Amino acid sequence: MTSAIHHCKECVELLGEYIEGTLPPERAKALEDHLSLCPPCITFVRTYKATRKLCRKALVAEMPRELMSSLRSFLGEHVPGFGCAKPDTAAEAAPAPADTELKKA
Amino acid sequence: MLYGPGPLESRTPTAPAPEEPRTDGQPGDRELVERAQKGDGEAFATLVERHQRQLFRLALRMTGSEADAQEVLQEAFLNAYQKLPLFRGEAQFSSWLYRIAANSALMRLRRKRRAPDSLSEQPLELSGPRFSAEGYLDPPPLSDWSQRADERMMSAQLGAAINKAVAQLPEDYRTVFLLKDVDGLSNEDIASALDLTVPAVKSRLHRARLALREKLGEFFQESGK
Repeated sequence: MTSAIHHCKECVELLGEYIEGTLPPERAKALEDHLSLCPPCITFVRTYKATRKLCRKALVAEMPRELMSSLRSFLGEHVPGFGCAKPDTAAEAAPAPADTELKKA
Repeated sequence: MLYGPGPLESRTPTAPAPEEPRTDGQPGDRELVERAQKGDGEAFATLVERHQRQLFRLALRMTGSEADAQEVLQEAFLNAYQKLPLFRGEAQFSSWLYRIAANSALMRLRRKRRAPDSLSEQPLELSGPRFSAEGYLDPPPLSDWSQRADERMMSAQLGAAINKAVAQLPEDYRTVFLLKDVDGLSNEDIASALDLTVPAVKSRLHRARLALREKLGEFFQESGK
Protein backbone atom coordinates (compact mmCIF):
# COMPACT_ATOMS: atom_id res chain seq x y z
CA MET A 1 0.00 0.00 0.00
CA THR A 2 1.34 3.46 -0.91
CA SER A 3 1.79 5.91 1.91
CA ALA A 4 1.13 9.52 1.02
CA ILE A 5 3.79 12.20 1.39
CA HIS A 6 2.37 14.95 3.58
CA HIS A 7 5.45 16.99 4.34
CA CYS A 8 8.11 18.75 2.31
CA LYS A 9 10.89 17.15 4.35
CA GLU A 10 10.01 13.69 3.09
CA CYS A 11 9.72 15.03 -0.45
CA VAL A 12 13.21 16.57 -0.26
CA GLU A 13 14.70 13.34 1.12
CA LEU A 14 13.44 11.39 -1.89
CA LEU A 15 14.52 13.89 -4.54
CA GLY A 16 17.89 12.37 -5.37
CA GLU A 17 16.42 9.02 -6.31
CA TYR A 18 13.41 10.66 -7.94
CA ILE A 19 15.36 12.70 -10.47
CA GLU A 20 17.51 9.69 -11.31
CA GLY A 21 14.40 7.63 -11.92
CA THR A 22 15.35 5.01 -9.35
CA LEU A 23 12.52 5.67 -6.91
CA PRO A 24 9.97 2.83 -6.75
CA PRO A 25 6.93 3.78 -8.88
CA GLU A 26 4.55 4.01 -5.95
CA ARG A 27 6.88 6.39 -4.09
CA ALA A 28 7.39 8.46 -7.22
CA LYS A 29 3.60 8.71 -7.58
CA ALA A 30 3.25 9.79 -3.94
CA LEU A 31 5.95 12.41 -4.47
CA GLU A 32 4.25 13.74 -7.60
CA ASP A 33 0.94 13.89 -5.72
CA HIS A 34 2.65 16.02 -3.08
CA LEU A 35 4.19 18.26 -5.75
CA SER A 36 0.80 18.86 -7.33
CA LEU A 37 -0.32 20.45 -4.05
CA CYS A 38 2.90 22.17 -2.94
CA PRO A 39 4.30 25.11 -5.00
CA PRO A 40 7.33 25.59 -2.69
CA CYS A 41 8.39 22.00 -3.38
CA ILE A 42 7.97 22.52 -7.12
CA THR A 43 10.38 25.45 -6.90
CA PHE A 44 12.68 23.35 -4.74
CA VAL A 45 12.76 20.52 -7.26
CA ARG A 46 13.44 22.89 -10.15
CA THR A 47 16.31 24.60 -8.37
CA TYR A 48 17.70 21.25 -7.18
CA LYS A 49 17.84 20.06 -10.78
CA ALA A 50 19.22 23.40 -11.96
CA THR A 51 22.05 23.07 -9.45
CA ARG A 52 23.32 19.98 -11.26
CA LYS A 53 23.05 21.64 -14.67
CA LEU A 54 24.81 24.83 -13.63
CA CYS A 55 27.63 22.97 -11.90
CA ARG A 56 28.16 20.73 -14.89
CA LYS A 57 28.35 23.75 -17.18
CA ALA A 58 30.85 25.49 -14.93
CA LEU A 59 33.05 22.56 -14.01
CA VAL A 60 33.15 20.10 -16.90
CA ALA A 61 36.73 19.01 -17.58
CA GLU A 62 38.00 17.57 -20.84
CA MET A 63 41.21 15.64 -21.16
CA PRO A 64 43.75 17.84 -22.99
CA ARG A 65 44.92 16.52 -26.38
CA GLU A 66 48.56 16.88 -25.44
CA LEU A 67 47.97 14.71 -22.39
CA MET A 68 46.45 12.01 -24.62
CA SER A 69 49.53 12.16 -26.84
CA SER A 70 51.95 11.91 -23.94
CA LEU A 71 50.00 8.98 -22.48
CA ARG A 72 50.17 7.19 -25.85
CA SER A 73 53.92 7.80 -26.06
CA PHE A 74 54.47 6.60 -22.51
CA LEU A 75 52.48 3.39 -22.99
CA GLY A 76 54.07 2.85 -26.39
CA GLU A 77 57.44 2.64 -24.63
CA HIS A 78 56.23 0.21 -21.96
CA VAL A 79 53.57 -1.99 -23.58
CA PRO A 80 54.71 -4.34 -26.37
CA GLY A 81 52.64 -3.93 -29.52
CA PHE A 82 50.89 -0.83 -28.23
CA GLY A 83 50.05 0.78 -31.55
CA CYS A 84 47.97 3.66 -32.72
CA ALA A 85 44.46 2.39 -32.19
CA LYS A 86 41.75 4.21 -34.08
CA PRO A 87 39.99 6.80 -31.92
CA ASP A 88 36.94 5.31 -30.29
CA THR A 89 34.40 8.03 -31.00
CA ALA A 90 31.76 6.44 -28.79
CA ALA A 91 34.02 7.02 -25.81
CA GLU A 92 33.88 10.79 -26.14
CA ALA A 93 32.95 12.70 -23.02
CA ALA A 94 30.15 10.82 -21.35
CA PRO A 95 27.13 13.02 -20.75
CA ALA A 96 25.69 13.39 -17.28
CA PRO A 97 22.71 11.16 -16.72
CA ALA A 98 19.55 12.63 -18.13
CA ASP A 99 17.06 13.96 -15.68
CA THR A 100 13.75 12.36 -15.25
CA GLU A 101 11.46 15.17 -16.24
CA LEU A 102 8.90 16.27 -13.76
CA LYS A 103 5.49 15.36 -14.95
CA LYS A 104 3.61 17.86 -12.90
CA ALA A 105 6.11 20.52 -11.95
CA MET B 1 41.35 7.85 5.73
CA LEU B 2 38.43 8.93 3.63
CA TYR B 3 38.77 6.39 0.91
CA GLY B 4 40.46 3.04 1.02
CA PRO B 5 40.19 0.93 -2.07
CA GLY B 6 40.57 -2.70 -1.18
CA PRO B 7 42.24 -5.51 -3.08
CA LEU B 8 41.87 -5.44 -6.81
CA GLU B 9 41.01 -9.09 -7.15
CA SER B 10 37.87 -10.65 -5.77
CA ARG B 11 38.44 -13.15 -3.00
CA THR B 12 35.88 -15.65 -4.20
CA PRO B 13 35.16 -16.61 -7.78
CA THR B 14 31.85 -15.29 -9.04
CA ALA B 15 30.04 -15.22 -12.36
CA PRO B 16 31.40 -12.78 -14.95
CA ALA B 17 29.86 -9.33 -14.78
CA PRO B 18 27.27 -8.78 -17.53
CA GLU B 19 28.37 -6.47 -20.33
CA GLU B 20 26.09 -4.15 -22.28
CA PRO B 21 26.41 -4.70 -26.05
CA ARG B 22 27.97 -1.74 -27.84
CA THR B 23 25.91 0.12 -30.39
CA ASP B 24 28.85 1.21 -32.56
CA GLY B 25 29.81 -2.26 -33.75
CA GLN B 26 33.13 -2.11 -31.91
CA PRO B 27 34.24 -5.11 -29.84
CA GLY B 28 33.21 -4.97 -26.19
CA ASP B 29 35.65 -4.53 -23.34
CA ARG B 30 35.57 -8.22 -22.48
CA GLU B 31 36.70 -9.27 -25.96
CA LEU B 32 39.43 -6.63 -25.98
CA VAL B 33 40.63 -7.69 -22.53
CA GLU B 34 40.83 -11.33 -23.64
CA ARG B 35 42.85 -10.30 -26.68
CA ALA B 36 45.11 -8.06 -24.59
CA GLN B 37 45.64 -10.90 -22.11
CA LYS B 38 46.97 -12.95 -25.03
CA GLY B 39 49.47 -10.20 -25.83
CA ASP B 40 47.54 -8.07 -28.32
CA GLY B 41 48.90 -4.58 -27.68
CA GLU B 42 46.49 -3.01 -30.18
CA ALA B 43 43.56 -4.33 -28.16
CA PHE B 44 45.00 -2.76 -25.03
CA ALA B 45 45.50 0.50 -26.92
CA THR B 46 41.81 0.48 -27.84
CA LEU B 47 40.88 -0.01 -24.18
CA VAL B 48 43.10 2.93 -23.24
CA GLU B 49 41.56 5.10 -25.94
CA ARG B 50 38.08 4.14 -24.76
CA HIS B 51 38.56 4.77 -21.04
CA GLN B 52 41.24 7.46 -20.77
CA ARG B 53 38.83 10.42 -20.59
CA GLN B 54 36.82 9.11 -17.67
CA LEU B 55 39.96 7.97 -15.91
CA PHE B 56 41.45 11.43 -16.38
CA ARG B 57 38.39 12.99 -14.74
CA LEU B 58 38.58 10.59 -11.81
CA ALA B 59 42.28 11.34 -11.33
CA LEU B 60 41.73 15.08 -11.69
CA ARG B 61 38.89 15.10 -9.16
CA MET B 62 40.89 13.10 -6.63
CA THR B 63 44.20 14.93 -6.93
CA GLY B 64 42.98 18.40 -7.87
CA SER B 65 45.89 18.84 -10.26
CA GLU B 66 46.22 18.21 -13.98
CA ALA B 67 49.92 17.36 -13.64
CA ASP B 68 49.16 14.80 -10.93
CA ALA B 69 46.29 13.41 -12.99
CA GLN B 70 48.69 12.83 -15.87
CA GLU B 71 51.08 10.87 -13.64
CA VAL B 72 48.18 8.91 -12.17
CA LEU B 73 46.94 7.97 -15.63
CA GLN B 74 50.32 6.70 -16.76
CA GLU B 75 50.80 4.70 -13.60
CA ALA B 76 47.24 3.34 -13.61
CA PHE B 77 47.26 2.13 -17.22
CA LEU B 78 50.70 0.58 -16.86
CA ASN B 79 49.60 -1.07 -13.62
CA ALA B 80 46.42 -2.32 -15.31
CA TYR B 81 48.46 -3.80 -18.16
CA GLN B 82 50.76 -5.60 -15.75
CA LYS B 83 47.83 -6.92 -13.69
CA LEU B 84 45.76 -7.88 -16.72
CA PRO B 85 46.42 -11.63 -16.26
CA LEU B 86 44.74 -11.33 -12.83
CA PHE B 87 41.55 -9.78 -14.22
CA ARG B 88 38.94 -12.51 -14.32
CA GLY B 89 35.95 -10.50 -15.47
CA GLU B 90 34.05 -10.66 -12.20
CA ALA B 91 33.59 -6.89 -12.35
CA GLN B 92 33.24 -4.56 -15.29
CA PHE B 93 36.64 -3.74 -16.74
CA SER B 94 35.92 -0.02 -16.26
CA SER B 95 35.19 -0.50 -12.53
CA TRP B 96 38.41 -2.48 -12.13
CA LEU B 97 40.31 0.26 -13.94
CA TYR B 98 38.75 3.04 -11.81
CA ARG B 99 39.85 1.20 -8.71
CA ILE B 100 43.42 0.93 -9.92
CA ALA B 101 43.45 4.64 -10.78
CA ALA B 102 41.92 5.56 -7.40
CA ASN B 103 44.68 3.56 -5.69
CA SER B 104 47.32 5.37 -7.72
CA ALA B 105 45.81 8.74 -6.86
CA LEU B 106 45.74 7.92 -3.16
CA MET B 107 49.35 6.70 -3.19
CA ARG B 108 50.39 9.92 -4.87
CA LEU B 109 48.54 12.04 -2.34
CA ARG B 110 50.14 10.16 0.54
CA ARG B 111 53.60 10.52 -0.97
CA LYS B 112 53.05 14.25 -1.14
CA ARG B 113 52.02 14.18 2.52
CA ARG B 114 49.05 16.37 2.06
CA ALA B 115 45.40 15.85 2.61
CA PRO B 116 43.35 14.96 -0.46
CA ASP B 117 41.30 18.15 -0.14
CA SER B 118 43.92 20.53 -1.46
CA LEU B 119 41.20 22.45 -3.31
CA SER B 120 39.41 23.26 -0.14
CA GLU B 121 40.68 25.97 2.13
CA GLN B 122 38.09 25.68 4.86
CA PRO B 123 35.55 22.93 4.36
CA LEU B 124 32.08 24.15 5.21
CA GLU B 125 29.54 22.44 7.32
CA LEU B 126 27.09 20.93 4.90
CA SER B 127 24.08 23.18 4.81
CA GLY B 128 20.67 22.30 3.47
CA PRO B 129 17.05 23.37 3.53
CA ARG B 130 15.36 24.09 6.84
CA PHE B 131 11.99 22.73 7.88
CA SER B 132 9.33 23.71 10.37
CA ALA B 133 8.46 21.37 13.22
CA GLU B 134 5.64 20.09 11.02
CA GLY B 135 8.07 19.24 8.18
CA TYR B 136 7.28 22.11 5.79
CA LEU B 137 10.00 24.10 4.01
CA ASP B 138 10.74 27.05 6.28
CA PRO B 139 11.38 29.47 4.80
CA PRO B 140 9.95 28.34 1.45
CA PRO B 141 12.18 28.98 -1.60
CA LEU B 142 12.13 32.72 -2.23
CA SER B 143 12.66 32.64 -5.97
CA ASP B 144 12.80 30.19 -8.84
CA TRP B 145 16.22 30.72 -10.41
CA SER B 146 16.17 27.42 -12.29
CA GLN B 147 15.75 29.07 -15.70
CA ARG B 148 19.31 30.38 -15.34
CA ALA B 149 20.52 26.84 -15.96
CA ASP B 150 19.13 26.99 -19.50
CA GLU B 151 20.92 30.19 -20.46
CA ARG B 152 23.72 29.59 -22.89
CA MET B 153 26.19 31.97 -21.33
CA MET B 154 27.30 31.79 -17.75
CA SER B 155 28.48 34.98 -16.06
CA ALA B 156 31.97 35.10 -14.61
CA GLN B 157 30.48 35.86 -11.19
CA LEU B 158 28.22 32.81 -11.32
CA GLY B 159 31.09 30.60 -12.47
CA ALA B 160 33.24 31.88 -9.61
CA ALA B 161 30.43 31.33 -7.09
CA ILE B 162 30.00 27.75 -8.27
CA ASN B 163 33.73 27.05 -8.11
CA LYS B 164 33.93 28.49 -4.61
CA ALA B 165 30.89 26.59 -3.33
CA VAL B 166 32.15 23.29 -4.73
CA ALA B 167 35.68 23.85 -3.41
CA GLN B 168 34.24 24.40 0.06
CA LEU B 169 32.40 21.10 0.16
CA PRO B 170 34.02 18.49 2.39
CA GLU B 171 36.39 16.50 0.17
CA ASP B 172 34.55 13.18 0.28
CA TYR B 173 31.28 14.85 -0.72
CA ARG B 174 32.91 16.98 -3.39
CA THR B 175 34.59 14.07 -5.15
CA VAL B 176 31.38 12.07 -5.31
CA PHE B 177 29.42 15.07 -6.58
CA LEU B 178 31.97 15.92 -9.29
CA LEU B 179 32.31 12.34 -10.49
CA LYS B 180 28.56 11.85 -10.71
CA ASP B 181 26.94 15.14 -11.67
CA VAL B 182 29.77 16.73 -13.64
CA ASP B 183 31.62 13.75 -15.09
CA GLY B 184 28.72 11.33 -15.45
CA LEU B 185 30.20 8.22 -13.80
CA SER B 186 27.70 5.67 -12.53
CA ASN B 187 26.99 5.27 -8.82
CA GLU B 188 28.42 1.76 -9.05
CA ASP B 189 31.70 2.89 -10.62
CA ILE B 190 32.10 5.66 -8.05
CA ALA B 191 31.41 3.23 -5.22
CA SER B 192 33.97 0.82 -6.63
CA ALA B 193 36.64 3.47 -7.14
CA LEU B 194 36.22 5.09 -3.74
CA ASP B 195 35.44 1.89 -1.82
CA LEU B 196 32.03 3.12 -0.74
CA THR B 197 28.66 1.42 -0.82
CA VAL B 198 26.19 2.61 -3.46
CA PRO B 199 23.80 3.92 -0.75
CA ALA B 200 26.71 5.91 0.72
CA VAL B 201 27.41 7.39 -2.73
CA LYS B 202 23.75 8.35 -3.14
CA SER B 203 23.60 9.88 0.32
CA ARG B 204 26.75 12.00 -0.16
CA LEU B 205 25.59 13.07 -3.59
CA HIS B 206 22.20 14.21 -2.32
CA ARG B 207 23.68 16.12 0.62
CA ALA B 208 26.25 17.78 -1.63
CA ARG B 209 23.52 18.86 -4.06
CA LEU B 210 21.41 20.27 -1.22
CA ALA B 211 24.37 22.26 0.11
CA LEU B 212 25.26 23.60 -3.35
CA ARG B 213 21.63 24.49 -4.03
CA GLU B 214 21.62 26.59 -0.86
CA LYS B 215 24.79 28.39 -1.93
CA LEU B 216 23.48 29.09 -5.42
CA GLY B 217 20.20 30.35 -3.93
CA GLU B 218 22.19 32.77 -1.78
CA PHE B 219 24.15 33.90 -4.84
CA PHE B 220 21.04 34.66 -6.88
CA GLN B 221 19.39 36.40 -3.95
CA GLU B 222 22.44 38.60 -3.32
CA SER B 223 22.92 39.40 -6.98
CA GLY B 224 19.24 40.31 -7.28
CA LYS B 225 18.68 38.05 -10.26
